[in-house]
Amino acid sequence: MADTTLATTDVRLGLEHDAQGRIAGPARDAQRTFRLILATVWLTDAVLQIQPFMFTRGSNGFSGMLHGMASGNPGFVARTVTWNASIVSHQPVVTNALFALIQFVIAFGIVYPRTVRPALALSIVWALGVWWFGEGAGGVFLGAATPFGGGPGGVLYYAVLAVLLWPHQGPDEPFVAARAVGVRAARLIWVGVWGLLAVLTVVGSGRRPTALHDLVTRVESGQPGWLAHIDKVSAPFLLHHGTATAILLAAVCALAGASIYMAPWFMRLMIVVVCVAFAAIWIAVENLGGILAGGATDPNSGPLVLLLALLYWPSRSNVTSSRRVDALAVEVAEV
Amino acid sequence: MGDPFWLYYVFAGAMLTVAAYSLGLLGLSLRSSDPVGRDIDIAHLAMGTAMAGMFVVHWAFGPAWFWEAAFFALMIWFLVRSAQSVQQYGLHIPHEGIHAVMSLAMVLMYLYPMGATGAAMSMSGSSSASHGILDPGIGLILAVMFFGSAIFTLASPHKGSSHHGTHRRHALVYATAGASSAVTATPPESNGGIAGRGVRILTAPALEDLSHVMMCVGMGFMLILML
Repeated sequence: MADTTLATTDVRLGLEHDAQGRIAGPARDAQRTFRLILATVWLTDAVLQIQPFMFTRGSNGFSGMLHGMASGNPGFVARTVTWNASIVSHQPVVTNALFALIQFVIAFGIVYPRTVRPALALSIVWALGVWWFGEGAGGVFLGAATPFGGGPGGVLYYAVLAVLLWPHQGPDEPFVAARAVGVRAARLIWVGVWGLLAVLTVVGSGRRPTALHDLVTRVESGQPGWLAHIDKVSAPFLLHHGTATAILLAAVCALAGASIYMAPWFMRLMIVVVCVAFAAIWIAVENLGGILAGGATDPNSGPLVLLLALLYWPSRSNVTSSRRVDALAVEVAEV
Repeated sequence: MGDPFWLYYVFAGAMLTVAAYSLGLLGLSLRSSDPVGRDIDIAHLAMGTAMAGMFVVHWAFGPAWFWEAAFFALMIWFLVRSAQSVQQYGLHIPHEGIHAVMSLAMVLMYLYPMGATGAAMSMSGSSSASHGILDPGIGLILAVMFFGSAIFTLASPHKGSSHHGTHRRHALVYATAGASSAVTATPPESNGGIAGRGVRILTAPALEDLSHVMMCVGMGFMLILML
């Protein structure tokens, strides 16, 4: 009791000091913290965009990378990707500088309260544009949008995260994601995302062992030793157990989607499970988006899936209120 | 089409701007009796100068061993300051911590100027230990830490905390006064006139944070180049 009366709060800085003079700090706004993490990812993307090879023409340049995304896609997708690639090929410096600038604007725009909404809105438009014109719709129309390879397109997660992190005052209950769009819509988004991931895992080439094996071998060139060692394990593993692994991942995704209507402890368990699973996929299959080999423009889906999952971490008060409801239900039943 | 050399010049120019700005702050700090933030100014001055030489080869000077020793000493200094801060204020992330990491990154960049993919920083007089390569995993972790520091510094409600921390008595004083703690003993120029206005602009907490952000982005970019 005596200790609490000695605790002081500095109104000017919003800092709280306890009886020993230690910093307690102001209350954290979880939604804002998540937004700043998203901004950090955008800033990383922006800097990756200004790597020297991105300003060059040819097969090793940015336009060559874009051209590669068109192959195999149906005409209406391939034409738009090729059109985009040809513009970049004609003006590689100007277009890439513009693309990088947009990402810098989004990253720094998210930081400030006055610009956060326009920046998030721009990020949604940009993400959808990149998904279609730059990534060939993530390979969805090819049947190759397996979540093992980042399907349905790592960039789509930026748009989903922008919606879920849209600034809104209010409590983070039952989880942070509900603050922006409401509990009902947030749950629908969660079910939609995990349902889609479950389906994409087992359709098309998603469950074909050779395709999964090729996902690893395609990106293993130029990786550092420790990651190459991991690839030497993951590639043969997927070749021998690819179908079973895909079915297991689909089951995990489906269960994760359903967990939002279950008890908070189960939801937490499933969030931990999907975080571990997608972290493992990010490292062992996606090879961190190929960043370490020096030829990537983004970290692929891994960190964004983790960020999305953590937005749905049930809050403490949610547990308390759920327990209270359970206790009340027992009392009512006894009466 | 070759490398975008103009981009390296842009970054080198930005790094030199940070170095020049830090020199200005250091000059003001030396004229006052308050050493708070002086270590950060010295670190930014050294980092800005060294980084400019990394981006543009003919802007580099001094032997690599000198820079390695200087940044190693700075790293130790900031680690000690971080430990002292935790001891004094309890478990938290002290603002000296990120400067210790930045000093570590500088040491690593001098020790391993060659990237894993063969891309090298344009640093002259590289160290004798430059035969090895920096693991790109470490480079990426450091780069993301710097980008995070840039974003969270801009978002911080405590302007100037990248130089002076959030728990200093100086920060308390200047948060209300709207001035930087680097000039606790107000220099005569700040009393009024053009010079005084110049000092106020130079010591504006938001500008101090901006210099930290530029340094973080520049250093992160260099680490990405080395992947």
